[in-house]
Parts: sequence; structure tokens; C-alpha cells
Amino acid sequence: MPVIKLSRRRLLKGVATAIALPPLQAMFNPNGTLYAADVARGAAAARPETRFLLWFNGNGITERYWIPTATGTDFELTPCLAPLAPFRNDIHVITGLDNPAARLPGPGNDHHRSMSGLVSGSSFTGRGAGGPSIDQAIAAKIGGDSRFRSLQIGVSQESFGESIQRNLSWADRDRALPPEMIPHRMFDRIFGKRDEGWVTRKRSILDAVQQDAASLKSALGRQDQSRLDEHLSSIRDLERAITMLPPEYGKVEEPEEGGDMKDWPRIAKLQSDLLAHALITGQTRVASYMLTKCQGLSRFPWLGYTAARHHDYTHADGKAPGFDGPDGQRIMRDICRWHVEEFAYLVARLKATPEGDGNLLDRCCLLYIHEHAEANNHKNNGLAAIVAGHAGNLSTGRHSKMTGTMSDLYLTLADDVMGAKLDRFPTASRKLGGITGA
Amino acid sequence: MSRLAVLGFIFAASGLCATDPPVMRRLTHSQYNHTVHDLLGDQTNPANQFPQEDFVNGFRNQASAQSIPPLLEEAYSVAAEKLARNAFRGGDDGKLIPCRPRSVLDPECRTRFIREFGLKVLRRPLGAAEVARYSSLFAGEAKRAGKFTAGAQVVLEAMLQSPSFLFRTESGAGDRQYEIASRLSYFLWDSMPDEQLFASAAKSELGDAPGIERAVGRMLADPRARQSVDEFISQWLRFDRLLGAVKDRRQFPQYSPELAQSMIEETRRFIHDAVWNDRDFMQIYAADYGFLNGDLANLYQMPAPAGEFERVSYPADSDRAGILGQATFLALTSKPGETSPTARGLFVREQFLCQHVPDPPPGTNNNLPPVTQDKPQTNRDRLSAHATEPLCAGCHQLIDPIGFTLEKFDAIGARREKLQLKFYKKHDDDDEKTPGTIELELDTRGSVAGIRDSDISSPKQLGRILAQRPECQECVVRQLFRFGFGRRETSADRPVIQSALARFRDSQFRFKELMIALVSAYARN
Repeated sequence: MPVIKLSRRRLLKGVATAIALPPLQAMFNPNGTLYAADVARGAAAARPETRFLLWFNGNGITERYWIPTATGTDFELTPCLAPLAPFRNDIHVITGLDNPAARLPGPGNDHHRSMSGLVSGSSFTGRGAGGPSIDQAIAAKIGGDSRFRSLQIGVSQESFGESIQRNLSWADRDRALPPEMIPHRMFDRIFGKRDEGWVTRKRSILDAVQQDAASLKSALGRQDQSRLDEHLSSIRDLERAITMLPPEYGKVEEPEEGGDMKDWPRIAKLQSDLLAHALITGQTRVASYMLTKCQGLSRFPWLGYTAARHHDYTHADGKAPGFDGPDGQRIMRDICRWHVEEFAYLVARLKATPEGDGNLLDRCCLLYIHEHAEANNHKNNGLAAIVAGHAGNLSTGRHSKMTGTMSDLYLTLADDVMGAKLDRFPTASRKLGGITGA
Repeated sequence: MSRLAVLGFIFAASGLCATDPPVMRRLTHSQYNHTVHDLLGDQTNPANQFPQEDFVNGFRNQASAQSIPPLLEEAYSVAAEKLARNAFRGGDDGKLIPCRPRSVLDPECRTRFIREFGLKVLRRPLGAAEVARYSSLFAGEAKRAGKFTAGAQVVLEAMLQSPSFLFRTESGAGDRQYEIASRLSYFLWDSMPDEQLFASAAKSELGDAPGIERAVGRMLADPRARQSVDEFISQWLRFDRLLGAVKDRRQFPQYSPELAQSMIEETRRFIHDAVWNDRDFMQIYAADYGFLNGDLANLYQMPAPAGEFERVSYPADSDRAGILGQATFLALTSKPGETSPTARGLFVREQFLCQHVPDPPPGTNNNLPPVTQDKPQTNRDRLSAHATEPLCAGCHQLIDPIGFTLEKFDAIGARREKLQLKFYKKHDDDDEKTPGTIELELDTRGSVAGIRDSDISSPKQLGRILAQRPECQECVVRQLFRFGFGRRETSADRPVIQSALARFRDSQFRFKELMIALVSAYARN
């Protein structure tokens, strides 16, 4: 039986209009189990897409062990950055950036305010970020053709914290997008195999649900309507993820259910593996990765630090040896290096994944940020970031001290590297030089 | 300003100010679990797998925080699929289908199922268009699978994802009687209405105050009412903070997740005892008894009761009293290795007096002076900057002196006469068996700023003050209002709060009377 291959793009068009859905059979291989269009597309595909990844860990850094003293191409890899040594020419260390929205008066503690300003350029609302986070601003422009508009990935399952501390991605003001922190669930979302009957059934269900929502909406007040709109948009996202089944792709191993969920180095690597697979199979172009929470309280048994929690170590709190003494500084150094180590693992993973005539990292733009510069005094100017990857001719292999805001960097990456054409972002006033080009 | 501009301004302003409070409430995760249990007999608590809910206004059920992001939507979809599959796994074991189908598509039985079972799922009668929609969904799947139950299953799966199930619309636009039934059941049971409540709605018995009070009286006598009180206290008293807490293993070797569970169980029993035995609820701050098991008795240095969590009276000379003397409160407001007078004082202000204390101003230096072997200090010493620095003192004078009165109870709620500071040679050096120990005297004198004659030095004395203070009594009312109404009270709610407070007070602070007053106001809101 001849099988018509449908492109995902064409299929999506059908979903968007939601009236005439294309025949589903064409989406399956002859076994009727898998989405096959991409397989056919294969290497003949056009130039692979660029991807954007926002990476975060909480509680800032210890500057003296993190920020290189030299700028330019001859910068030294500080103790914290040492894990990135093999990728020296794939990264651009950028320091000196400001987060002005964090200093506006308003509700919340320093961490709340810094986090909201950091991700959205807008002040903390008392509940959440003041606007969409940069990854979501980019996803809104370039995520529409993918199976997932964006993916949110987390690692540390701390119950601690309010919404602003537990979420990196914000669809809009106060609209958090929680990260998936459990690898086997992540796997199921991205690579769970479904048969055709299941898809047909799910679509008819979601169709009925959408009609329910539409008829309910007319009876509601304005605020409730907008909440229902959110629900509807989530239903549409789900429908899209269901309709566009994962491509036939045998390289990914399903993570075991259970295991030690506090073993964050293990979880982090499992999540990075899954993310790399999701990116190479074109299921999303935008992702955020939250290694630890804002103002996080993790302990670090794998580093030998269990007497206190991360946030305690950043301040001379309780029984923590504290910030001032050499002990405290050394502990903070090791913690920050672990964060960078996990980031380096992902970079390595992307670089080891062939794509076209290069590798996945060639078409990625990773941005690594923290809510504070020096963690102890909640410093929110002179922030340190790492840009990694080679998408859009990113300039790499250097350390630059820059004057400008974090949002200036976002805008530059979004528009000049990702082609998202944002034109503006809160607290961004200009694009930064030296981000792309040789 | 031209007339047109004025009109335009008024128009714009009215748009901005239109009082359009959210009236749609999403089932909380616990309500979801209870609802699918009551509806389907499910015991898997699927909502425990959903993304965590946020605390807003002190509670996890506030309407303004209840959105459905894509990850939650996916979780609903997965849960609905499993629940529907389980419900019809062995045919119709749960007797969810009210008739015996005569064919795979039996239109009569199909419609009856959608109408009768749909009413329970969506908690209101279905409109003709809805019935037709679900009927066609049913028919498609039943025909494909050649099984009547397959149709029922797909309908259930769809309904469990419908906004009419996931949200409780309280707009008054729908069927008012059914909305009231849901308001009552979710407030009092944390779950869906039962047959009898649906029947009352169908007979329009919930239209007036006596009708509602009759229903409320029956519902409070039902064991499900404990579910709702459980949810209220676990959020109000922030049990989550204790369940997520870690304690320094070297200092507190006896601390374990099981001990934390025991602490919470004591608090839970203690409050339920006050609620359901019609005790003076304000005595939860001052009562001279607790409910202990062996581990807790050990922690409290008291003889173990014969049975698990039996009521035990504290000795007359004990400083322990009420929830302020319970390990739950003392541990959840502490750090891993040390108490925090600031956190304890803040908790009393925010949770028990409903007084909001602002966050520290931006850029505050949060470092307490380090405690070293050369310079050992008590918390009172370390926090002295809070009292002397003008920038800190304004707020910290409100909270720290409350916390000082609790300093003779350590970070896991055990009594201590002196502060023992242990110094290990190196962090985490497990070989170091004999730490250097320094003992310091504890000065537990403190006060509650704003309350006259409140010079106190123990949780028992603090509890006695709270129990008799009008602001503390009103705070119980306001907390239950926030929990029950799903939002913070406004000035427009003043009459409701005042009349509920009056009823609470007139009943010698019976919590059930407070529930009746607030749920009745809520039902007719």
C-alpha cells in the first residue's frame, strides 16, 4: 500500500484550522505505530533549525572563583569554569550585565525580585514574574511549528519555595510553566509510543473538550474567560503534541521509573540526554532547564556538603561555615563548579550528536544565567552569563565584560541569532556588540 | 477636558475598575483526589502526580493562582485516561451505567448514562447540545470497539478533562441550585456533592437559609467533613514545610521523616479533637495537653501513653501548651540546625494574628554574625542588630521578641534549658566524634508588640495571650474565609467576617459554628 508522507508543517496547518483534519494514516509507518514523515525527510531535510536553550541554577555565584580576570580570547578558566575546558571554543563568557528591574521597589524578597527581573525584565508581581520570560518570548515567535512550542525541564525536586522560585519559564505575567522533573515522565512525553487508534481517540476527546470550553466561556466574566483561554491554549498544545507523534528514532533509552530522586547529578544527566534527543528529533526549538531552584535549599552529598543547604552556604547562616571564611568560599566554589559541570555535560552531549554535516551544538544557542552575581549580597548587577553553541554565527572562545542589561543580551540573541524578531524586551534598550561574528 | 474625552475616560475607567472577580475555581489537587474517589471509587490519588500548587494568600486553593499550564493539562489527560480505563476495566463493576444496554450503541441507555452519570461528573444537569455531543463521541468509540462500555469509557475520559469538571463555575449563570450544592460540598467535604445533595438541588431545597443550614448540618456530621478540616489545617499551619524539612543529622540523630509524620499527626488530632468535640477552639493556643505516640513522648520527655496518639496532659510546670508548644510548629519554623526566633515570630504574626510583615528592603545584608568557638553567641545576641539598626528594627521588633520566648525549644521541638553549641573541627568530618561544646544561658523574655501587658517568656504564656486576643480570634475567621472562599477578604466582605466572628464568639468559639456561618455566606454569595 503506498503511504503518503505528510510533513509536520502541513499537518499543523490542519490542526490550526481545526476543521478539516488531514487523514491520519499518512502519519504512520506501515506498522501503524509511528510517525514516519520525518524519517522520510531524513538527511534531505533543509538546513536544520536553530534552537534556544535557557539554563538556570539558583543562588548566584562566588565571583572570585567564577569570573575570569582576563578578557578576550586569552581568558583563564577559573575553578568554577574548569569543567568547560574541552569546550573553551564553544562558549562565550559574558560578565558585567545588569538586572535593573530587580532593584525597583515592590513586594518580595531579593531573590523573588531578582528572579522576576532576570527572566522577564519586569518586576515581581507578588506572585510571579511580571511578564513572559525570554525563552517564552522567543518560543512565541519560533516555536509554533514544533510538536512542543517549548519544553521546561527541571532537576531538583525541592518542595521549598513559592512559584517565582520554582519556575524559570513564564508564559506571561503570573503564568508559570512548571518544569518536568521526573525523567521517565519526560521520556513518556517526548518519546512515548502511541498507536493510531489512541491518537484518533484522544483527538475526538479533545475535540469534545474544546467544544465544552467554548460553550462554557460565553457564560463567564472577563477574568474567568481569560483563565479559560489559558486552559484552551493548553488543550491545543496537548492536541498538537498528540497529533504530531514522535519520529521513529531508536537511540533513546527509557529512564527507569523510581531510583534516587535526590541524586541530582544523575537526574541532571538523564534530563540532558532526553533534551538532546528532543532537540535532534526536531520536537522543539526552545527549552528551559532549571538545575536548582531560585534561592534553592539543596544539599550536596555528592560533594560532601551536607551540614547546611545551598542558600545557607551563600550566607553565614546557622551552622553553615559561611560566606566570609575561606571554608565558606571553598564550599561555594565547589557548588558552583558542580553547576557548571552539569552544564558542560549538556554541551558535550549536544556536541556529540551529529546533525547534517556538523553537530547539534552548531545549531544551538545556550544561555546560562543565575539570579545573582555574588550570591552573598544578592548582587544583581555585574551578572555573569555563558553563551554556548554556534547558532547564528555566535562569537565564542572568549570572555567579554559588557555594559548593558541582561535583557540587552536577550534581545541580541533573540533577534540576531534566533531570528525571533522581538524588537523589544523589557529593560532592553539596545543590542550588544560582539555577540555574533568572528 | 472635552465632554467626549471625559466620557472616554469614564468608559475606560469603568472597564478597568469593573468588579469582575474570578468566580471560577479549579479543583485543587486534593479535591481532585477526593472527587475521583467519590465518583469512581478510585484509590490511586492521581493528583499526587500533578505539578505542585502554589501558596497564594497563605493557601494553595486561591482562585487567582489556579491556571492550567500545558504540563498540568497533560497530567489531567494522563489521569483521565487511567481513571476511565480503570473504571470500566471489568465491564461496569462500579455500576456507573444506570441501565442494561441492549446493543452496542443502545441509544436509550447511552443517553441515560450521559445524562445521569454526566450530572455527577459535571455536577449539574447537561444541556441538550452537550448530551448530543457526548452521545456522538460515545457512539463513535462504542462502534469502533464493538463494546458499549468503550463508549462509556471515552465519555468519562472526556468529561474528566472538561473545564466543567476541572473548574467549578460559580458565576450564577448556570443552575444556581447545583452551584450551591458544589459550593457546600467542596467547602465542607473537599469533594463533590453526594446523591442526597444532588437530590436537594434537583428539588430546589437549597434556595434559602434554612434549607442550606439543614444540608450543612447533615454534611458536618459526615466523616468527609474531616477531609476539609484536614486540608485547612495542613495549609494554614504549613505542614508542607515540615514534610520538606531537613534537620542536621549530627545534632538531631532522632529526627526522621517518620518523626515528622508523628508531629503532624499530633497536631492534626489535636485540632480535630477541638473541632469535633465542640471545644473552645481558641484553646488550641493554650491547651495543656497533647496527643502523643512513643516517639513524641520521648521527644517531649514524658511517659509514653498506653495507646498511640492518646491524649496526654502536660505537667503543671511544663512550658508547653497548645500548638505553639507542639513539635510541628517549633520544627517547621526552624532551620536545619538551629531555631529561628525571626521565623517563629513571623509565623505567629502572619498565620495567627493575620498581620502582614513586609519583606526586608532590597539589598539588605542578611548575614547574621557567625558563631565561633571564640565568640559563642545565642540567637538573641546574633539578632541584636535587628533591634538596633533603624532599618531593621521597625519590623523585627514586631517579630523577634515573640520568637525569643520560644527559645527553650530547639529546632525539632525538644526542650532545652541551655543553648548547646557544638563545634566540629571540620565541616562534615564524620570521624570527629567529640565536638567542642559550649553551653550558654537562654534568656526567653519577650513580648508581643502592639499588645499591652504581653511581657512573656514561654509558649504557654504566649498561647494564653493569643487565645484571648480579639485579633487572634478574628484571624481564625479570616483564615477560614480565605480557604473557603478561595480569595483574600476585601472591605466588601466585612459584614460576612463580622457576623461569622459574632457567631463564633457567641458559641464559645466552636469551630463548627464558624464553618456553618462561613459556608452559608459562601453558598449564597
